[in-house]
Amino acid sequence: MHGEYKTPGGKLVVVDFDVVDGRLCGVEVSGDFFLEPPEALERIAGALEGLPVSEAEEEQLAERIRASLDEGVEMVGFSPEAVARAVRRALP
Amino acid sequence: MSEQVVTRSEAQARWRQYRWQLLYGEAFDPAMQMALDEVLTRRVGAGQRLPTLRFWEWTAPAVVIGRFQSLRNEVDQEVARQLGITVVRRITGGGAMLTEPGKVITYSIYAPPELVAGMSFVESYAFLDAWVIEALRSLGIDAWYQPINDITSAEGKIGGAAQARRFGAVLHHVTMAYDISPQKVVQVLRIGREKLSDKGIPSAERRVAPLRQQTNLPRETITERMIEVFATRHGLEEGRLQPEEIAEAEELVRTKFGTHEWTAILP
Repeated sequence: MHGEYKTPGGKLVVVDFDVVDGRLCGVEVSGDFFLEPPEALERIAGALEGLPVSEAEEEQLAERIRASLDEGVEMVGFSPEAVARAVRRALP
Repeated sequence: MSEQVVTRSEAQARWRQYRWQLLYGEAFDPAMQMALDEVLTRRVGAGQRLPTLRFWEWTAPAVVIGRFQSLRNEVDQEVARQLGITVVRRITGGGAMLTEPGKVITYSIYAPPELVAGMSFVESYAFLDAWVIEALRSLGIDAWYQPINDITSAEGKIGGAAQARRFGAVLHHVTMAYDISPQKVVQVLRIGREKLSDKGIPSAERRVAPLRQQTNLPRETITERMIEVFATRHGLEEGRLQPEEIAEAEELVRTKFGTHEWTAILP
């Protein structure tokens, strides 16, 4: 599955994953955004890994991503909501 | 833009609190460029080097992808290989770009974080490139800053900036197209429709307006004016790369920037 979302005035977020037994699997988040520290990207992808598709509402996804990030993480040109929207767009 | 964040005299004072060094002239291959950026950022962060402005010269064409981009989503690697273009990944975020020797103007600023203290990322981009906008305008190019990180003009985008705040320093680098063929860009880079969705631009080719299209001046003349303007605004001394910096960068090419593991860290 492949979904993209570009934040207006911001950057592109791309999400690639498979759905296995109704869950998100092998989640990769990429794009031309800025993120400090860079390692936070693994936290964002990790927050989505294994999530049941049935629970993948945009708001819930964004909340999960937000909760996974340490204080001091800077997302520039994108947001937890942007990643969530890219996931939703990937799903049928 | 910078004037909205800090006044012009405050901005002046911020830059002027440092002695700036210029690195200009020596050409390196693409992986070495990536490595030098990391080494020089570390050195400035550790206080082992004065804040530095480096102009890049390239020995070979390259596609440089952003830290968070997917290699396969961004680059047609088969076309890159056929055209003899090396694909490397940099440590800053942002988008993929095509560079060729003599056809782009690329520079890096390595600065202490205090230079941009109190500014948001978005504010600091315009602040760190205000001297470039002045230099381009002084050459008759109607350039302005398009947040977050684009240097643009009525004819189209000239270049893009990317930043990382790491190793105790700020790395800010920019590539401007001088004579890059927009057709070649779309041949080797996959520029999706979603990316163009809020730009209102129908064709990817039209997104880039290389400097040579906007002025007849040689590339060196533009670079030299940029150096003049930086020197006048902020002060600038000639510097040189230290042998240990080059050695450290060569080691980083071997262990990181020249490896497939790094380039395909996001496959």
